[in-house]
Amino acid sequence: MNHSRVESYPITRFLMGNEAIARGVIEAGCSVATAYPGTPSSEVMESLSRWKTELAHKIYLEWSINEKVAFEVAYGASLSGKRAAVVMKMVGLNVASDPFLSAAYLGVRGGLVVIVADDPGPHSSQTEQDSRFFAWFAKVPVYDPGSPAEALTMTLKAFELSEKYHLPVMLRPCLRVCHARQNVTFSLPTEPVDVGAFEKNWTGWAATPKFRLVLHGELNQKIEHVSLMEPDAVPHLVAGTLKSRLAIITSGSVSSHVIDIVTSNPEMSDLSVFKVSLPYPLNRNNVQEIVNCNDRTLIVEETYPVIELQLSDRTNVIGRLSGHVPQEGELVPEIVDRIIRQFIGAKSSSELEPKLKARRPSLCAGCPHRPTFFMIKRLFDEAVYTGDIGCYTLGVNLSAVDTCLCMGASIGMACGFAKANGETDKRSRIVATIGDSTFFHAGVPALINAVHTGANFVLVLLDNNITAMTGGQPTPATGFTADGSVAVPVNLERLVSGCGVDFLEVVDPYDYDSLEDALTRARTYSVDQGAGVSVVIARRPCIRTVKLDPQALKFEVGANCDRCMTCVRDLECPAISFVKKDKIVKIDVEQCTGCGFCVKVCPEQAISARRA
Amino acid sequence: MVQLILCGRGGQGIVFLTRLLGEIATQKGLDVISSETHGMAVRGGSINSHLKIGPFSSPLVRTGHADYLLSMDESETSNNEHFLRNGGVVFENSLLPSEHDVFRVDAGGLARSIGRIQLENVVLLGFAASLADLGVSFDDIEDKLAIEKRETVRRNNLMALKAGSKVATELKALIN
Repeated sequence: MNHSRVESYPITRFLMGNEAIARGVIEAGCSVATAYPGTPSSEVMESLSRWKTELAHKIYLEWSINEKVAFEVAYGASLSGKRAAVVMKMVGLNVASDPFLSAAYLGVRGGLVVIVADDPGPHSSQTEQDSRFFAWFAKVPVYDPGSPAEALTMTLKAFELSEKYHLPVMLRPCLRVCHARQNVTFSLPTEPVDVGAFEKNWTGWAATPKFRLVLHGELNQKIEHVSLMEPDAVPHLVAGTLKSRLAIITSGSVSSHVIDIVTSNPEMSDLSVFKVSLPYPLNRNNVQEIVNCNDRTLIVEETYPVIELQLSDRTNVIGRLSGHVPQEGELVPEIVDRIIRQFIGAKSSSELEPKLKARRPSLCAGCPHRPTFFMIKRLFDEAVYTGDIGCYTLGVNLSAVDTCLCMGASIGMACGFAKANGETDKRSRIVATIGDSTFFHAGVPALINAVHTGANFVLVLLDNNITAMTGGQPTPATGFTADGSVAVPVNLERLVSGCGVDFLEVVDPYDYDSLEDALTRARTYSVDQGAGVSVVIARRPCIRTVKLDPQALKFEVGANCDRCMTCVRDLECPAISFVKKDKIVKIDVEQCTGCGFCVKVCPEQAISARRA
Repeated sequence: MVQLILCGRGGQGIVFLTRLLGEIATQKGLDVISSETHGMAVRGGSINSHLKIGPFSSPLVRTGHADYLLSMDESETSNNEHFLRNGGVVFENSLLPSEHDVFRVDAGGLARSIGRIQLENVVLLGFAASLADLGVSFDDIEDKLAIEKRETVRRNNLMALKAGSKVATELKALIN
């Protein structure tokens, strides 16, 4: 964001949804923002850091260790009288659900906005959960923006609503808002809001169960007020006319597809399209009135039937519950078009499909995880490989990841696999793999549990010193935090030892012999001797963070290659491919980073450094 | 109103092109909306961007509605051709000759001759913007790239843009 000339407000820029949300957080006079990275939410914190620099703003920013802690830090800031925001992806809310639900009862002081990005599809996630449903479960109002520009406006509104009702408020952008870009107009930030110092009151802020009952009653009243009094809980006409006898009620990212489709199609010009900003808590009477005024009403929302379920009479309502809207998958424009055509009884338009399947993602050429997975596969032939969440889930391509449940589960599940069949059973051979950031996030308690219960398995910590999958955010082991300010690096070895682990080795995964040696000794310790959990830290920075040396060696396949395919199949390096036409194995110079691991992998020793 | 799809593999500069066109449109006071791929797919997988200039609400181009497809990788073209409307045009980074409605340029080769393979996206853009109205003009793009402060980046980008444009000019002469 280099702008040489001095700009005067309002300013219009081409902003990503996540940048617009960050702008809203700053503009609202927020003092503390916390986050844990996760697609599609990660750019909110990154943009906050850029806005902070551009505006020389004082907001405190941190990448927290996980979403639960991130929520608690933001909640503490709210109780101390300042506005606070916490940002995560939807599965992060599962981790933060404990403080989230409790905070709804206790309420807030400074406005607290919980920004949860949903990933219908899913494109980069384990589930397609709808965070609006989670907001309903917690009895927390939720804004559902349909575009980057709207995301900014709704962020500002969310802070206001939160402070007005002393409630946390959720902002739920979907992927198509987070990663959309749009010309967005914004203004000058307001001064940080301060509602006054924390006032001690244990029946309110440290309520025992007896007082929780009282708080639950108050929460119900607040939600009732929001639904009856707030204009955003009422759907507004955004396209079409009121003359029609057919209505659509929609919200959020999918509302944008609905609007484009209805306004560009003459067959649909009689439809009335209503959009609601706060899909929970809805003004139920008002929505019911829309339904009652029309012959039929179609509900189009992403991803669960949140609006639909709040309607008491669904006789003339069409949606997910009636089976007219698919129960899973993203509502992309083609599907929305089909649903609306069915609804009005129009002929369906022909649907076009891609001719080819999309290319599967793969660990980068030179990724330090690749040698580690290769060696695990080579040394632990009959083992079960419990995997985890991050780039290294792509170890599936090397057949070195068998399970992937959720953040940190590689270690907990390894324990279960190890305990289920007894120590001597082959099925009890387990290798768990987890990245450094994921280990800090949720692996630590699981490791303590495994040590304590004497589980025998090998844990390989894939330490690339960064949160790579989501774009390279710092971890607690990094010496800086979200805005680049100095942080205290937490030493991974001391942490692992502190969990009670007695076998700990650190190796460079590019070093074939040392890697083989460390994993072999770990196997002896945990599998052969049954001496407990062994931990091998495979440490090398993410290839994407390293400045590649243009003089680095490149490698080539010699004439003695017998096409055994070990390098192509077992190493699965994107730089190495089998050229069908010429029946040769080839290394792509553009992609090769010169790690040289393939040299040792080749049984025929056919790979060697290229002559310059 | 223009609707574009830009496609390629992770790391080929698709997001850069999308942002560049969007920023230019924004500075011209136009309404513009786009959608990008992030996350796991970017790890060498297939990626595409959607860009719509005009009064649109949705960031996604519907299948059969794109005016142009800018493809950084010929193997990705067939993944995305279904987005094109009847009469839609492909601009492709490829060694093959152009044909009806598929205009090709060896963007990779030209970028390498400038010294950086990473410039192939800008070569393709220069090529496409010289042959079609992408919603913002070739001159707009050139002006935008010319205000880059880093000397080498600016020079390289402008050279790449012109290299693409030169091939387009030759192609036009051939067609006429």
